[in-house]
Amino acid sequence: MKRILIVALLLSPSVSAQQTAIASRTRPAVEFLASDRLEGRDTGSPGERLAGDYIAMQLARAGAKPLPGRRDMFMPFEFTAGTRDGGSNLAIRGAGGASQAFRGAEQVQALSFSDDAAVGGPVVFAGYGLVVPESQDFGYDNYTGLDVKDKIVLVLHYFPEDTDAKTKATLARYSDLRYKALAARQHGAKGLLVVTGPRSPNAGQTLRMTSDTALAGSGIPAATISGAVANALFAGASKTLAAAQEEFDSGNPHVAGFTLPTSVDLTTKVVREKQTGRNVVAYLPADPGSKVPDAGRPWVIVGAHYDHLGHGTRGTSLADKNEAGQIHHGADDNASGTAAVLGIAETLAKQRLRRNVVFTLWSGEEIGLVGSNAFVTNPPVPLAQVAAYLNFDMVGRMQNNRLAADGVASSPVWSRILERANVAAGFDLATNPDPYQPTDSSNFNQAGLPTLFFTTGSHPDYHRPSDTADKIDYEDLDRIVDFAGAVVQAVANVDMAPEFTKVDPPQTGATLAGVRVTTGTIPDYTTDAKGLLLAGVVGGGPAEKAGLMKGDIIVEIAGQSITNIYDYTFALELLKADTPVKVVFTRNGERRDVQLTPSGRR
Amino acid sequence: MNMRFPIAVFVFAIVSVGAGLQTRPATDATRSPQNKESDFLTRIRRLTVEGRRAGEGYWAPDGKRLVFQSEREPGNPFYQIYTLDLTTGDTKRISPGYGKTTCSFFRPGSDEIEFASTHHDPKSKQYQQEEIDFRASGKTRRYSWDYDPEFEIYAYAEKTGKYTRLTNARGYDAEGSYSPDGQFIVFTSMRDAYNRTLNAEEKKQLEVDPSYFAEIYIMRADGSGQKRLTSVPGYDGGPFFSPDGKRIIWRRFDTSGLIANVFTMNPDGSDVRQITDFGAMSWAPYIHPSGQYILFASNKLGFENFEVYLVDIDGKKEPVRVTYADGFDGLPVPSPDGRQVAWTSTRAGGSEGQIFLGQWNHEKALDALRAAPLRVGVR
Repeated sequence: MKRILIVALLLSPSVSAQQTAIASRTRPAVEFLASDRLEGRDTGSPGERLAGDYIAMQLARAGAKPLPGRRDMFMPFEFTAGTRDGGSNLAIRGAGGASQAFRGAEQVQALSFSDDAAVGGPVVFAGYGLVVPESQDFGYDNYTGLDVKDKIVLVLHYFPEDTDAKTKATLARYSDLRYKALAARQHGAKGLLVVTGPRSPNAGQTLRMTSDTALAGSGIPAATISGAVANALFAGASKTLAAAQEEFDSGNPHVAGFTLPTSVDLTTKVVREKQTGRNVVAYLPADPGSKVPDAGRPWVIVGAHYDHLGHGTRGTSLADKNEAGQIHHGADDNASGTAAVLGIAETLAKQRLRRNVVFTLWSGEEIGLVGSNAFVTNPPVPLAQVAAYLNFDMVGRMQNNRLAADGVASSPVWSRILERANVAAGFDLATNPDPYQPTDSSNFNQAGLPTLFFTTGSHPDYHRPSDTADKIDYEDLDRIVDFAGAVVQAVANVDMAPEFTKVDPPQTGATLAGVRVTTGTIPDYTTDAKGLLLAGVVGGGPAEKAGLMKGDIIVEIAGQSITNIYDYTFALELLKADTPVKVVFTRNGERRDVQLTPSGRR
Repeated sequence: MNMRFPIAVFVFAIVSVGAGLQTRPATDATRSPQNKESDFLTRIRRLTVEGRRAGEGYWAPDGKRLVFQSEREPGNPFYQIYTLDLTTGDTKRISPGYGKTTCSFFRPGSDEIEFASTHHDPKSKQYQQEEIDFRASGKTRRYSWDYDPEFEIYAYAEKTGKYTRLTNARGYDAEGSYSPDGQFIVFTSMRDAYNRTLNAEEKKQLEVDPSYFAEIYIMRADGSGQKRLTSVPGYDGGPFFSPDGKRIIWRRFDTSGLIANVFTMNPDGSDVRQITDFGAMSWAPYIHPSGQYILFASNKLGFENFEVYLVDIDGKKEPVRVTYADGFDGLPVPSPDGRQVAWTSTRAGGSEGQIFLGQWNHEKALDALRAAPLRVGVR
């Protein structure tokens, strides 16, 4: 699973190994894929290639074939494996004609999504550079009254520091730097500079280059600058950067930006290292004698990603200091889902199918759903002919018999199909209407296909080297294969392809971008219980210290009511490190509250 | 909600008592540290997924099917009755598809299933549209049940598909269940509100809450020999036979509609015994096939937090809590072999129930009852 919200950076005791002596259909694949030999299956790595070869072999053994017109099962795609600054620099031309030049990551560095360009012109300070869309009916636009056309815009990182929680909650949604770059570009600016203001955490420091797998820039040169550079830009201005920030920090929408008395010449250069990953794609053809009457959608796609984090160097690792750099085995994430799809292929190969069933094993998922995106962008089978996409991501750590099925609202047929298949399977099925999930199925949902995404949810080994094969619950993973096989068969054989229902995306747009604290909670993704059900707490983290535990349902934090994961993400954006807040939760049906003190994260 | 569930009482309490209503403090004398849900129920799983809500699952005598009510078809916002085959997963609607229906039960030794329905009412389709329009308007009400006096009990023959009407009295007739030999039906009727002249106070009562007039009746499986068994003001409802057919178990509300308790009696209405005394809403009782204990639901821990409890057949011990989940857990029904329990729960989230199924640990249930203290006031 790509990046699910685990605000957990500390070590917790590992889960005891599950021992099962029964021969399992899924165990060999998980054990191979999660072995040291594959070194965490980082996209584009030798381990990923080996995993792909193994998967293709297993699919062939099950009887699946390359897609019509293709010689083999491999579908390579190009991606950006890493970004680094290629020598960006900036020169300030002061009012008096004096010029100062800056270079080096401590002073100026391109943002990972920056275009490569050399631009020059006057600098306009635009506060936090925030634009709340008119549809939100909120009335906050830092560009009001400013003419930034063909100029360089300087904005503050984050969002106003001193506003009430509700204002913060709204503004935080639009504080992602990509969003700020978009706003600057749409207002005609030819460059964007970002500074972390003196009144914000990590004041004056340039931002680290984050990983970004996009193959090209976002259409505007954008760079982060130090506090010193920003102060130099403010030289001769009517007020200091600190004073200007303080005005904006009130959140007053009438505070306006202004043109600085300086001009700059900005050169940005991002070096993008291109690599190639491989999706593995094969299919079982429909029985020519028993095709469905609905000839328009003769394909069904079943998929899981097989890549993982390698040694965890690319950013989404949650390894603690003692584990950093070790192999991230990814047994649950997502050798389990891969093994499930291979198991389904094996099961379905023995059945008569009325639709062609495609098996897609994605790479590039952990770096941003890149493999499935490449498939959807350039599909080998027209997507208009695909009846549905079913996804398996982290299905190896079942707890309390619970299996989550997400995206149920994407087609009216899902609940009936799931109910029927589950009578024999007997899972405590947790259905969630929302098809916008941090996994490959969201690419297919956006392409207009009905999707279902199965998962057994998160756990303390998520995105850490300790996600190992000995902790997988193979007995229940085998049960999932049987259940999923029945679901896929139902879709493959139903007369009329499932109808697609467009679900509106969650209004919040919550991202981790604005979250600056950790609470040490591990949300349970397999429930749609009202509130935030905890799958666990991080050992030694703020939540554990506050006395929260697995099974608690958080319903309120710092006065914000919590009904789902999005509310929770928002609430986190508003917390300050080391400032205690009240957390209201229910345990065994009883309402309780505790004080929790979030700690800072970098 | 379902009709064996006295939701009207629920609403009545909120409307008329309002802020004055005190729920009991969330302390729980019956919750000893050694008991937890997984002692009694394992492999818990959600059985129904489709539709807005489902509930009241009752077992076929062979344990291979359930019959239940669910709101799952476009065009009808009311419950219809479905059977669910636990081997194949196939569901089949057995009610006509229009009107309101509720409270179904398999007839032992036959292919018949009884349920209550209003489909003979010429206005039933109009009511469906009105309810659909009401929901589309975005308005909400606390509940959508009105004890429609058109409710009559029907028997559906699975082989012929034929419906036979068994009751014919104005006033809600529903909540039927068969005797173990399949020869009798116990049921709830509000006919007492319509078959005599009411005094002014009673007329007012009928307007506010017709369930005040609900009493337990018995009849032969063909509808003949209808006979009233109870005559105490307040909602008497939800009757079932004991596994040996010698007793009837049901719940009785007081006239305030806030307090309900579980009672048993002989099939002729004699020897009435009170089983529970929580001072809360204790209802939906069902006797385990062993005949040794009763499963029921109570909101003892909070007005909207119903949990399933266990009590010995004579009600001498303090009841033992079985479920531990937020929201609603109720209408527990053990399978004929006593090894599984189907119940209705909101534990999957939201306010609408679905049917859940779990493996039932009979030995643990007996242990817990042995360990339970005597009920206060019991000699």
